[in-house]
Amino acid sequence: MSDSLQQHESSEESMEPGLEFLAPKFESEAFPWTQIMGYVFSLVLTFAALLLVINHAMAPTLLLAVIIVLALGQAGLQLGVFMHLRESRGPAWQLLPLALAFFIAFGLIGVSYWIMLFKTGVS
Amino acid sequence: MSTPVVGESQHQIPLEFANEEESLKITGFWMFLMTDMIIFASLFAVFAVYRSRVAAGPTPDQLFHLGPVILETLLLLTSSFTIGMAVYYMRKDNLAAVYGWFIATIVLGAGFVITEVHDFVTYVHLGATWHVSGFLSGFFVLVGTHGSHVTFGIMWALTLLFQLRRRGLTDITRRKLFTFSLYWHFLDIVWVFIFTFVYLYGKF
Amino acid sequence: MPSFVPYLIHTLFPPDTRQPTELGADFMILVSGAGIFFYLQHFKKWKWLWTEWLTTVDHKKIAVLYLVSAVAMLFRGGVDALMLRTNLALPNIQPIGAVEYNEVFTTHGTIMIFFMAMPFIFALFNAVVPLMIGSRDVAFPRLNAVSFWLFAFGALLLNISFVIGGSPNAGWTGYPPLTEIAFNPGPGESYYFMSLLIAGIGTTITGINFLVTIIRMRAPGMTLMRMPMFIWTTLCTAALIIFAFPPLTVALGLSLLDRTFGSSFFTLAHGGMPMMYVNLFWLFGHPEVYIVVLPAFGVFSEVVSTFSGKRLFGYTAMALSTVAIMFLAYGTWVHHFFTMGAGPSVNAFFGLSTMLIAIPTGIKIFNWIFTMWGGRIRMTVAMLYQLAFIPTFVIGGATGIMLAVIPADYQFHNSYFLVAHFHNVLIGGTLFGLMSGLYYWWPKMFGYKLNERQGTWAFWCFAIGFWVTFTPQYLLGLEGMTRRMYTYPLGFGWHELNVISTIGAFIMGAGFLILVYNIYYSLRFQDKDLTGDPWDGRTLEWALPSPVPEYNFARIPVVNDLDAFWVMKQQGVTLASSLRAEDVRELELPRNSGMPFILGLGFFIGGFGMVFEWWPIAIFGGLIVVGSLVFSAFDYNDRKHMPAEVIRQTEAGLGRLQA
Repeated sequence: MSDSLQQHESSEESMEPGLEFLAPKFESEAFPWTQIMGYVFSLVLTFAALLLVINHAMAPTLLLAVIIVLALGQAGLQLGVFMHLRESRGPAWQLLPLALAFFIAFGLIGVSYWIMLFKTGVS
Repeated sequence: MSTPVVGESQHQIPLEFANEEESLKITGFWMFLMTDMIIFASLFAVFAVYRSRVAAGPTPDQLFHLGPVILETLLLLTSSFTIGMAVYYMRKDNLAAVYGWFIATIVLGAGFVITEVHDFVTYVHLGATWHVSGFLSGFFVLVGTHGSHVTFGIMWALTLLFQLRRRGLTDITRRKLFTFSLYWHFLDIVWVFIFTFVYLYGKF
Repeated sequence: MPSFVPYLIHTLFPPDTRQPTELGADFMILVSGAGIFFYLQHFKKWKWLWTEWLTTVDHKKIAVLYLVSAVAMLFRGGVDALMLRTNLALPNIQPIGAVEYNEVFTTHGTIMIFFMAMPFIFALFNAVVPLMIGSRDVAFPRLNAVSFWLFAFGALLLNISFVIGGSPNAGWTGYPPLTEIAFNPGPGESYYFMSLLIAGIGTTITGINFLVTIIRMRAPGMTLMRMPMFIWTTLCTAALIIFAFPPLTVALGLSLLDRTFGSSFFTLAHGGMPMMYVNLFWLFGHPEVYIVVLPAFGVFSEVVSTFSGKRLFGYTAMALSTVAIMFLAYGTWVHHFFTMGAGPSVNAFFGLSTMLIAIPTGIKIFNWIFTMWGGRIRMTVAMLYQLAFIPTFVIGGATGIMLAVIPADYQFHNSYFLVAHFHNVLIGGTLFGLMSGLYYWWPKMFGYKLNERQGTWAFWCFAIGFWVTFTPQYLLGLEGMTRRMYTYPLGFGWHELNVISTIGAFIMGAGFLILVYNIYYSLRFQDKDLTGDPWDGRTLEWALPSPVPEYNFARIPVVNDLDAFWVMKQQGVTLASSLRAEDVRELELPRNSGMPFILGLGFFIGGFGMVFEWWPIAIFGGLIVVGSLVFSAFDYNDRKHMPAEVIRQTEAGLGRLQA
């Protein structure tokens, strides 16, 4: 985690921080191709999942895994394309907590389910 | 806190990030979204556990019709695209285009809410209220929490529209529009998981 | 008399709330309320109250508000504890009956965790975190005030339950089906859910606020590995809060839906599952344990380093073990319900993860001891708490490991052994840490030290009282006395141990009285601390005058090392000795706002309406909430200017401006 940048940010008494060097981190396109492609891909992912389920294309467990992977792809798409995930002033501080949040969210769901199965050997 | 001077010449990093205080609020909003994500994760955990606990009520397969759900998905995915476009034009300082895409987002969001409410009313008329079973409780609260988030988002968007009219694209209104877009895309992600795990999985 | 009057009386004051203790509490509330009213009226202090306190967004004043609330709640929770111990002092005596006993242990636990420990921690966060990292405020000052008022009105909602409508009585955990409307009609449990929901929103906001403050607003040069240890623990606490409180919100919200709107989450019929509440509650509850203890670890790290006159031993290991505890805290929640019967593999997994936490905690204990090793130790009150903490917490941790051994847990579960264990870590860890922090940072908050002699007396009362109270409880647990029993017959052999335990509780009560007197005495008679650095401190907050001016730093310092202020003193260039008039610039500070107070009031009114299911009132409260939010959205006037001249004059008045 870079600290040279941190110095720039907080030292308001020093010279105005030069922020130009951050500019490449921010999206700037002449035509919104990224957004349009993002939209197209989001539709593709959704309908892929839909068609797989309607046609019962594979065994239920595998199918569940596949559509969850498709949903994760969709989430990554929204985060990366539309939510400007990596944009920030200085280090992208949101990334680490976000990774933790995903880990905890999925851990919470999976482990809660596991606990609540009540696979009791002895009680 | 001082605002770094970002004149026309060095207009390279977006105003909502160039202003330190506004950029703090963006970081804070990311953190808020993470708390919201854990709220939804908890509700998903409840739904996962209660999914088979249908008591005397209908099973997911008996209850769900994919028609309205596909419509809702299309509306929300498209609105996610339109708010993305609004942010794109915000960065181009094109206020007229921002209005257009932003209002389209609100209309699509309203369409989503209306479809969902209609869907819920249908279920309730069939006697499938949340009193009937653990599954229905989990379903209504998970999907309803998302729906109320969208409803809240629409109200937020309306207040934001007034602010845009009054003040144009300042660093503050730009930051507000940007955080709104984060919120909206986040709800889209949650919806994708609801679509997958509640509705599609219900049709296995 | 109109017909609704008897209805109102019956609803608001059911027979439960007409017991002598409740009527006594009614009387006390009326008298103290009237006293405060006439004081404010007589001295024309209403405007002062509003402009200086109710609308403040200054983190230092919010810290004082938190601290006052926390001490008041410590009193309430402590009185509850004494009532419980009195009821159990001898076999078959029942000064308070079974029903009231249930209410009292419920409010004791709820208040001590949510409305004493949490605000006390936030008091310390608010008082020193921005100062320690060299910042002018927290990231979101107005939200900080919102957090406080949500906490305050949540606490008020829970506290009025005792006299209006009836207290919650299902334990601080509020397990269903006991909290379901079928088994627990009346407003008590609704009060519990509603007040914790409101306070929980405030806490979540605080977590976000301090997380952003620490990651984004540190002084130039303060890298992660140069942050004081208290900042590390605050960072990890904030991260724990933002990921732990949402499951609580869900658990409480779903219970409230069950009670009020007839859903079937935790019901016994209709495919509900009460254990899911337990799962969600402890998904929050276990991280909560670390939320309240990590700040105490942070306090001890600062205190031990300052009063040993040495740099903290093993700084990197301390930081990493804090992060490790944060991670592990999310993975141990099932150890609170091993006896549910989730199966051997689940229990084995969570038993192991629980034991794993002992490793980073052990690292910390060793590091504190090694910090003292070879140091020039000063026995201040803050340091005494640190010294008492180490053995107490080690024993509390060791009994925790015993509880993590699953077969043994089936014996210990819900016995007094458990009660003794968690009081051992919560008092020996959290409360001692908070007391240590109180004595350590009091001069920074108020500008004078607390009297050390009286503080030492209070300390010995707390430390001795603690051991006298809880050692017998371990033994009682092993002899089979279960938790939450309101009385017991003669002849079980529990008699003597209970007497001893009750005596210990009263010794701790005496400690509290000495503490309050200590505060009063010090306010009247202690000398002003003019240096701003009464302890020969090491971190940046001591570089400022006490009490700290509104803008904190006239000039933001540059940090080159850990223990930044210590290094400055070594080099002879402190903030006070190096500030020149031309360094001072005009500042923008957050402007006071009544919005947070009104918002909290809206939540309170709405919550009250929800508890009694009086929908017009609930909707009215909701409209106030929405109105405040909309007002806030359109309010662009939330900053004020502080001219450089004002700052120069303030600094010159403190003798900190060089010509």
